Amino acid sequence: MLGFLFRRLGDIIPTFFGVTLLVFFLIRLIPGDPILMLAGERGVDAARYAELQAQYGFDQPIIVQYFDYLMGVFQGDLGKSFVTKKPVLDEFLVLFPATVELGLTGILFAVCLGVPFGVLAAINRGKWIDHLTMSISLTGYSMPIFWWALLLIMFFSTTLGWTPVSGRLSVMYYIEPTTGFMLIDTLLSDEKGAFISALRHMILPTIALGTIPMAVIARMTRSSMLEVLGEEYIRVARAKGLAPIRVIMVHALRNALIPVITVIGLQVGVLLAGAILTETIFSWPGIGKWIIEAMNRRDYPTIQGGILMIAFLVMAVNLIVDLLYGVVNPRIRHKR
Amino acid sequence: MALLEVKNLTVEFGSEDKPFRAVDSVSYSVDRGEVLGIVGESGSGKSVSSLAVMGLIDFPGRVTADALTFDGQDLLGMPAKRRREITGKDIAMIFQDPMSALNPCFTVEAQIMEALKVHEGGTKKQRRERTLELLNQVGIPDPKSRMTAYPHQLSGGMSQRIVIAMAIACKPRLLIADEPTTALDVTIQAQIIDLLLKLQEDSDMGLLLITHDLALVSEAANRIQVMYAGQLFESGPADSIFAAPRHPYTQALLEALPERSEGHDRLRTIPGVVPGQYDRPTGCLLAPRCRYANESCISARPEVTDFNGRDVRCFYPLNDQGQPTGLTADLATGETV
Repeated sequence: MLGFLFRRLGDIIPTFFGVTLLVFFLIRLIPGDPILMLAGERGVDAARYAELQAQYGFDQPIIVQYFDYLMGVFQGDLGKSFVTKKPVLDEFLVLFPATVELGLTGILFAVCLGVPFGVLAAINRGKWIDHLTMSISLTGYSMPIFWWALLLIMFFSTTLGWTPVSGRLSVMYYIEPTTGFMLIDTLLSDEKGAFISALRHMILPTIALGTIPMAVIARMTRSSMLEVLGEEYIRVARAKGLAPIRVIMVHALRNALIPVITVIGLQVGVLLAGAILTETIFSWPGIGKWIIEAMNRRDYPTIQGGILMIAFLVMAVNLIVDLLYGVVNPRIRHKR
Repeated sequence: MALLEVKNLTVEFGSEDKPFRAVDSVSYSVDRGEVLGIVGESGSGKSVSSLAVMGLIDFPGRVTADALTFDGQDLLGMPAKRRREITGKDIAMIFQDPMSALNPCFTVEAQIMEALKVHEGGTKKQRRERTLELLNQVGIPDPKSRMTAYPHQLSGGMSQRIVIAMAIACKPRLLIADEPTTALDVTIQAQIIDLLLKLQEDSDMGLLLITHDLALVSEAANRIQVMYAGQLFESGPADSIFAAPRHPYTQALLEALPERSEGHDRLRTIPGVVPGQYDRPTGCLLAPRCRYANESCISARPEVTDFNGRDVRCFYPLNDQGQPTGLTADLATGETV
């Protein structure tokens, strides 16, 4: 068990170099000069330009710049944002809870709908309910997030007026962040109605973000469930005289969930990628929106730091998922 | 009254207008304390008929019968919930492959206690004690430590003992064993059969033993039922069937036994395979493979008739010398048509 953990932690090292290399060089391939971006329309004269270049270290060879950056990262310094002049890590930590909150509700939405959809489709294989859930899931999977989000806003916010268009909380409330999770903070605060407001703000972004993972989980659950339902031990369970619901929910689902859990872990990566679009559209003050803005301004340290942190997050989640396997699958538990 | 009474049981699959009959009007009965052996090749409908008795045939399969009663209760007519109360309690079943019969995600203990919980209730402590008692009864060494084992930690023979413990947990009055030894080593096979027969004798259960191992039924069964392609071909007391088969198929099966092939270079076989859905003969289902078949066998299907006190589905049942009766002399020599 411990050996496994160390092996997996060892995998982080090459991934770290890969991610930093890719991000560092790729963003420098994008046309646009951060100094000119900062200077705005008036521009800067040549002398000031050279001075600024030296200040940010752009006059050094790119390899040297990369190693300077790496040395900083090793010491826990992700650099300072060109735009805000604040340390990237500090900015990240402020915005991170908003993204985690949205990610958690998104994955919750995906699992809570995807798994039952998949089970329903599997036990009604070939019937209308199977076709219906699988059509919904295929549609959800094929829908571009930004377009789906805009449709949701147009229908539920603009036309029906049921939900707010954007943001995390109505401007009527001011909540001092304690945990950074709006749902928790509003619950802790004395402001009446703030929690409801926060909840209503969550609905559409959650749906927009959770739809693709929901579709993937539903399809995976269905096929996994179909496979398990054909197993002999399901017949044995029925031969014991168990009620069909118990056979499906206990004997079949427990086994069918093993591959589904892998997929859920992989979806976390998809979810964070989706967060970039979702947060931008819903003006959600999280990591996704932050990175997009940094890209527009060629704010190299922010982009590099943000993406590196996301990469670590995805790796961490997948490690947790691997550890979770043992909980659901006794065959793995004993091998380690 | 017999414990289990099956009259003209038919199981159909496929479309309504062109159904495939996996089991075709099969009748039998099992009494308390009796062992009925059902034999036949793969695909002869042995398993499907027993699944129908258990109520485990799913849509789109269709089960019909003139009578399917257990202890006088009509199994087909009763509500599903009532039937589940009987299934697993009064009628239990053991399946062919013990390695896949146990749910890999649950401990041995959990799987045995589950059946007890559903049918007998009681406290968790009582159920655990009963489970330990069952494991002892089926001959699991060191049962206490096996209680918390997972199926993948058990050998095939051990798994089958667990499956048996699971089946007899609620003291069933009828036990259906569907090829309980097929997936096991030869050395383990005998142990498992001995165990089953001992349990059957001790508790006066009815035992329906499904197998394609003739040697096994010859030792174990009181009565034998020979099935072929979903139909009953011959049934009667075990010893008399072995002494004098009345159906050419039974005769061929017995001749295929290795111990009856002494003096031959090769083991005797029955050429061909059991007809499936698409190659069913119009006449007697055995006709293409029967050494005595003639024109009438190919064109018409025989019914089950009583021949010297035995049920036989053949136009020309065999006499004590193993020769077909009622045939013209030239055909009776054993030439294949």
